[in-house]
Amino acid sequence: MSVLKKALSAVVLLVGFAFIYLPVIVLAVFSFHDGRAAVPPFEGPTLRWYAEVLSDPKVGQAALNSIILGLGSSALATVLAFLAAYGLGRYRVAGGEVLKGAILLPMNISYLVIGIGLLILFRNAQLPLGLGAAGLAHVIMTLPLCFAICLTAITPKQVRLEMASRDLGASQFMVLRRVTIGLAWPAIIAAFFLAFTLSWDEFIMTYLLTRFDVTIPITIWSMLRTGLNPATNALGVLVFGFSLILFVMFEIIYFRKSARRTGP
Amino acid sequence: MGKASTDRFTGYFYVTPALLVLVIGFFVPVGIMAFASLSPIKPGEWGMFDNYARFLGQPALLGALWNSLFIAGIVALASVAVGFPLAAAIVFGVPERHQRLVLTLLILPFWTSYVVRSYAWLLVLAPNGVVNQALMSVGLITEPLRLNFSVAATAIGFVHFFSMLATIIIYSGLRQIDKRLLLAAGDLGAGSVRAFVRIVLPLSAPSIAVAAFLALVMCIGDYITPQILGGNTAPVLPQAIMNQLNRSNDVPMAATLAFVLTTVVLFVVTVCVPVYRARVKS
Amino acid sequence: MKARKFLTGALALGGIAVACATVHGQEINVLAWCDHTDPALLDPFTEQTGIRVNVRDYEGTGAGLALLDQSRPGDWDVWVLDSPAIPEVVALGKLAPLDPADFPLSDIPASVRNEGVHMVDGTWYGIPEKYGYHGFAFDKERVDEADLQSIEDILDPRFEKRVAVYDYYRPIMGMIAASLGIYPGDFDEEDLEKVREYLMNLKPNVSVVADIVTSQTALATGDADVLFGGGEYAIATIIPERPSLDWTIPTAGSVRYEQSIGIIADSEKKDEANQFLQYVLSPEGQARLATSSCFWGLPANTKADLTDEQKAILRWDRQEEYLAKTTSYIAPTGDLAAKAEAVWAEFMQ
Repeated sequence: MSVLKKALSAVVLLVGFAFIYLPVIVLAVFSFHDGRAAVPPFEGPTLRWYAEVLSDPKVGQAALNSIILGLGSSALATVLAFLAAYGLGRYRVAGGEVLKGAILLPMNISYLVIGIGLLILFRNAQLPLGLGAAGLAHVIMTLPLCFAICLTAITPKQVRLEMASRDLGASQFMVLRRVTIGLAWPAIIAAFFLAFTLSWDEFIMTYLLTRFDVTIPITIWSMLRTGLNPATNALGVLVFGFSLILFVMFEIIYFRKSARRTGP
Repeated sequence: MGKASTDRFTGYFYVTPALLVLVIGFFVPVGIMAFASLSPIKPGEWGMFDNYARFLGQPALLGALWNSLFIAGIVALASVAVGFPLAAAIVFGVPERHQRLVLTLLILPFWTSYVVRSYAWLLVLAPNGVVNQALMSVGLITEPLRLNFSVAATAIGFVHFFSMLATIIIYSGLRQIDKRLLLAAGDLGAGSVRAFVRIVLPLSAPSIAVAAFLALVMCIGDYITPQILGGNTAPVLPQAIMNQLNRSNDVPMAATLAFVLTTVVLFVVTVCVPVYRARVKS
Repeated sequence: MKARKFLTGALALGGIAVACATVHGQEINVLAWCDHTDPALLDPFTEQTGIRVNVRDYEGTGAGLALLDQSRPGDWDVWVLDSPAIPEVVALGKLAPLDPADFPLSDIPASVRNEGVHMVDGTWYGIPEKYGYHGFAFDKERVDEADLQSIEDILDPRFEKRVAVYDYYRPIMGMIAASLGIYPGDFDEEDLEKVREYLMNLKPNVSVVADIVTSQTALATGDADVLFGGGEYAIATIIPERPSLDWTIPTAGSVRYEQSIGIIADSEKKDEANQFLQYVLSPEGQARLATSSCFWGLPANTKADLTDEQKAILRWDRQEEYLAKTTSYIAPTGDLAAKAEAVWAEFMQ
């Protein structure tokens, strides 16, 4: 690798890193700002905003809501997506391509539109808004993606393995359990984590479809609208930290599992 | 033959739960919205396209559509312009064993909350913020630039997000290029630059296209970044939709605008996808 | 196996969620401005009465009506809204009658008490709780007060892209109308046309059209030198850090915002709601509301428990003068309101 190439790459990456990390660094720095307005110039570091955020029961409740919403909708979306992928990938179904397209359709539609549609539906049906409504919206949002991911795991090789195990006397359920899901495991995990990440950070649909069961993104939005405060920065940094932990966990689980699977 | 037909039924069986949820949560709401957008302004009279006519007649709303398209276009181009060099720098400038690490580090800020990230740019672009301070200390400007609450700020916020996405996508596209092709080109006497332009660029075109496409589609429908960074100087369609819904309580109009938004996106999709497939095939 | 684990996990979590949702004690749902979300205001009330207060903040009367429309009866209990909008809202059947004996009405200045707006057919529907002014908020280090004497001054080219505008058409259009000598009650389409002309002339000077917090941020970061429609509400919270911020009222007069609190007609918790109203109108409640973290304002109840320092920031001694120089802002209904919204949208483009 020539020195010129390396130098050029280094420069590009340096500039790139600076651009990408600029807001994150400013955010983090001003979360320690000792003053009400989170605006320059910076005043001596203080931890009081972190203390305020961590001791605020509303933040705790919002975090709980975010987690419940994320886990619930992701689990449901992953299960539905996997079953659908299995149905359409494993079996020849008349109109299969159309059904595939239908399931993938919501991916092209703005979340704002999906949210408004559901709001109108719930309003007309006089149903209560809340985490349930938001959960449905999140399932719609993540189902296409999970479906696409799971579809990649239903391969002809796997179909043959299924048939082989069937021939060996295994019941349909056992086949499903051991062979299909066993082989598709990495994809399922990936789908679940991706769905959770999307749900965790989702704002607009949750905002439209809940009243007081706020999630973290809505809490952050409210903080932006109701007061000039470095506490918002502190919450942002904490959320970033949490997401990082999730991401690292995912990498560990995913790559350990794949390694084990493809091992000796 | 019997097996084949039971196969089909089994297939439907597995797909049904997902389809059920989709019908209730997606197709029905969309249908209701379509119905709402086609409702006449004065009930009882014939006026199926009243709302659409109103939309076309209000410069503010047409302006919002134009802003959305304009900003999304710029953002798509800029994101790819930023993502490609970054991806290329990693693939060609970083030793293979470190590539995943560098890529991961580069896109880590992807995981900051979307709302928070937009807000952070307000601080960065402020008159007494980092960017202005830096430019002034170097002497490039004497008065701080008014960057916030503008189309520029919105675009920067978007590009920040989508360039990370573009980097990942183009990175995987570049990785798939067979290194032997480049070696062969070198053997045949082509210089690095020529090999790059003749081989790498065309072969990475599909991934570049995907990145641009995703940025375009996701950008058109976004509400948060323009709302935080745009300062209402050039409202986009999602903002117009929210205003119709919240301020004017005009649900049919909101539904109409939502449909316009959807149609535009679907149009982009239906145009781009076949073109992409054709190019890839060749 | 794993799928089953997922399902059971999801169901369990769903069950917990439903349980959490149903196990709540007494609570009331309040639709209000952002100054009602401050825990310093709400927590003492919850401690005293055991009633939890859920506040949802909203942008303007139109948005409030939209929200109520999109909700089911019984979803909301208390509404804090623009005082001038009360007659319209009562005509739509949204507010419940109140008992004036429950509230310290005699401690409220007459022009704020304004029976004409708060009473319909001899019945009280809303109680004034807080008010403040719309003028120009500015940074003394960058702009001279002498240059901000009238709305015409802001049209000066040297203000190009330096004026922030508060994003609510009623006070802003009201301010413009007041400068043109138009009384809010007389505001009609012709006047809207004049307002529209002014707004289009102002456009080149506008840097941002923003909500309360964003306007405060713009002043604090220097993204704007003047806030059109600004008053103590825009600067009181950041004055300790930015003592160079100030505000003034145009010589030709201006408008004030007045917010009142009322009970929603189809609320199922009118007693608890009434308790909350009484708390908000009490001296302690009024002091906390006046100095709420989102924005400060003048308490309607002159017996509010404010410190001398707080009274100084709120210009307590100049209230008679300010009240005399300002009127309520416009409260158009129906068609005129829709047209005004359209003009505002055009202004923002």
